[in-house]
Amino acid sequence: MAEVLNRTAAQRQPTWNTRGLNSATEQVGNWFLNPNWNNSMDQSDPFESALSSMVSSPAAASNVPVSGENVMMRELIGKLGNICNSGDASCYSTPLNSPPRLNLSMVNLPNQSTLAPFSADPGFADRAARLSCFSTGGNFGGLNDPLMDSFKLSGNQSVNVNGTQSNQNSPMAGNSGSDKKNTGVSRSSSPENAESGVSKEESSVSQQIPSRNDAGTRKRKSIPRGKAKETPSPAAADDKVASENDESNSKRSKRDGAPAGNGNAKATNDGDEKRSKENSKPPEPPKDYIHVRARRGQATDSHSLAERVRREKISERMKFLQDLVPGCNKVIGKAVMLDEIINYVQSLQRQVEFLSMKLATVNPRMDVNMEALLSKMFQSRGLLPQGIYSMDSSAQAFPFGYQPQQGLPLNNGIPNITETQFSMKTQGFQLPSINGFTDANPQVGSVWEDDLQSIVQMGFGQNQPQSYQGSITTGQVKIEL
Amino acid sequence: MNKYNPPRMNPSSLRSRFATRFLRSLSKINAKKPTASSSSPTEIFRRYRRIKVAADKSMAYSVRSRRTWSRAMLWKLRTRPCCRRSVKTSTIVRKTRHEKQNKNTTTTTGEDGVVFGVEADELRELVPGGEAMDLYNLLDETAHYIKCLTTQVQVMKKIADFYSP
Repeated sequence: MAEVLNRTAAQRQPTWNTRGLNSATEQVGNWFLNPNWNNSMDQSDPFESALSSMVSSPAAASNVPVSGENVMMRELIGKLGNICNSGDASCYSTPLNSPPRLNLSMVNLPNQSTLAPFSADPGFADRAARLSCFSTGGNFGGLNDPLMDSFKLSGNQSVNVNGTQSNQNSPMAGNSGSDKKNTGVSRSSSPENAESGVSKEESSVSQQIPSRNDAGTRKRKSIPRGKAKETPSPAAADDKVASENDESNSKRSKRDGAPAGNGNAKATNDGDEKRSKENSKPPEPPKDYIHVRARRGQATDSHSLAERVRREKISERMKFLQDLVPGCNKVIGKAVMLDEIINYVQSLQRQVEFLSMKLATVNPRMDVNMEALLSKMFQSRGLLPQGIYSMDSSAQAFPFGYQPQQGLPLNNGIPNITETQFSMKTQGFQLPSINGFTDANPQVGSVWEDDLQSIVQMGFGQNQPQSYQGSITTGQVKIEL
Repeated sequence: MNKYNPPRMNPSSLRSRFATRFLRSLSKINAKKPTASSSSPTEIFRRYRRIKVAADKSMAYSVRSRRTWSRAMLWKLRTRPCCRRSVKTSTIVRKTRHEKQNKNTTTTTGEDGVVFGVEADELRELVPGGEAMDLYNLLDETAHYIKCLTTQVQVMKKIADFYSP
C-alpha cells in the first residue's frame, strides 16, 4: 500500500508541490498563528482542536487522494517548521520571531484536511516526529506537549515503517530532481522525496527522534527551507526567506549526505546542488548532521545573521556607488563594480592634477582672482558677499578696482562679465578658446603646450564635468572618449 | 529683466565652501609669483604643486573632520610640506609612512571575499585614510570622496574656463 501511495504521489507530485504545500501549511499555520507563541501550555488546546478538526475534515475532502494528502501533510509539517525558521536565523535565537514568519506559509489552503492519513502515512509520521522535535526547540512554545504526544507516537511508528520503504527512494530521485533521498529511513513516500527538503528532514528527524536536542530544531529549519523552495510564490514574498530556503536546500543536501554516507545521499546532494537556484556558494563538504546552517562557513546562527546583515549593507553601498559612478549601471557584479569605482577615482584624481597644472599655467595670464570669484558667484556658486570682500583685502595686485556687485567694471581687457556670458559659461563647459591658452604660455615647454592643448580640446570641449573619459596622465595624452 | 538672477546655491554647501577657500588660496599663490619667472617650467611646476596642495587642502578643510579621508588628508598635508624644510618633520613623515605600511588590510569574508580582498586594497590606496577600514566603511568613504572629487573638478574646471579666454 505504501508503494501504491508512493507511485500515485509521485505522479501527482508536480501538482502537489505548490498547491498541497501551501494549502496544508496555511491551514496549520493559521492555527499556529492564533495562539501566542510565547505562551506555554495555553496554546496546546487550540492546536489540539485544530488538529482534531483537521482529522475530521479529511473524511469530507474527497478531491484529494490519500497520497496527495500525505504529501500535503508532510508539506504542512514542513511548513510548520518553515514558519518557525523562515528566512532567518533568528528562529534559533528568539522564539518571538516565529510568529511573524507564519504569514509566509499562509497561502491558499484548500480545506483538504489531510489529517486522515495522519498516522497512516509514514512520511507524515516522520514529519510529526520532527515537529515534536521542533517543539523541543522551543519555537512552538505551548504546542510542545500536545504535538509531541501525538506526533511522537506516530513518528516512532513511522520510523519502523519507513525503514522498509527506504528502497523506494531511487524512483523518487528522478521526480524531485535530486532531492535528498534519505539514507534509508522514512522515505516512505515519493511525495516526500518530491519535496526536496522534506524528505531529507524526515529521515533526519526519524533518526533524531530518540535524541531530541537542538539538532532537531536545526533540522526543522532545513525542512522548511526545502518547502519554501518548492513554494516560491509564498516564500518569494520574503526575499530573505527565499534566500534562506535556497541556502537551506543546499544545506540540506549537504546535511543529508553527511549522515547518509551512501550512494543515495550523494546523489541527493548532487541533485540538490543542481536544484538549488542559488549556487553562488561553492559546495562545501558535507557537514555534520547538526550543522545545518553552516553552509556559508558560519558555524553559528548569530554569525550567519551578522554576516548576512553585513552583506546587505555592503550591497546597499555598492548600489549607491553605482549611482555615483557613471556607466556602472550595466555592470552587475561586485568585482567589476569595484574595478569601475577604482578607475573612476583614479581618473578624478588625475583630472584634479591636470586642472591644477592648467591653472598653474593659465594663471600668469590672469591677474585678477576676484574676477574668478565673482564669476563663481554669478555662476550660482552662492558665495556670500563676505567672501568677496575678504578676497579684496587679500588680493592687492588687482590692477583695477572693482565692486563686488553684479555689474563690475573690468578694465583689463577681459570682456565684461555680463550675466549672459556667465549663463553661457554655466550652460556648457566648452573651452572658449584654445588660443587664449596658447597665448598665455608662449614660453611653456612644447610638450606641455601640445599635450594640454589637445587634452583641453578634447577633454573639456565636449564632456560634462562628471565625465572621466578624458583621463590624462602626465606626460601622456590619453583620451578616452 | 535685464538683470540675470543666477539661481542661488546654498552658501554653506560643499561646493561654495570649497570654491571660496580654493580661490582664496589661488589668489595667494598668484600674488606671490613674479610675472617674469612665472613662465619657466620649473616655476610652473612649483606653482602646480602648490595649487594641487591648495586644492586638496581646501577640499579637506571644507569637509572638516567629519570624514575619515578628510582627516587623513589633512594630516598628510600637514606633515608633507614640512618635510622639505626641516629634518624633524621628515622623521615624522617617515614614521607615518611606516605606520601606514604596517596597517593590515582587512579582507572581507563571504561569498565575494576573495574578490574584495584585491580590489579593496586598491581602493584603500586611492582613498586617503582607507587603510584601516573594513569594506563597508571603505565604500562609504569612497562614495563621499567621489562626491568631493567631482565637486573639486567642477569648480576647478570653471575657474580654468574662466581664466582661459
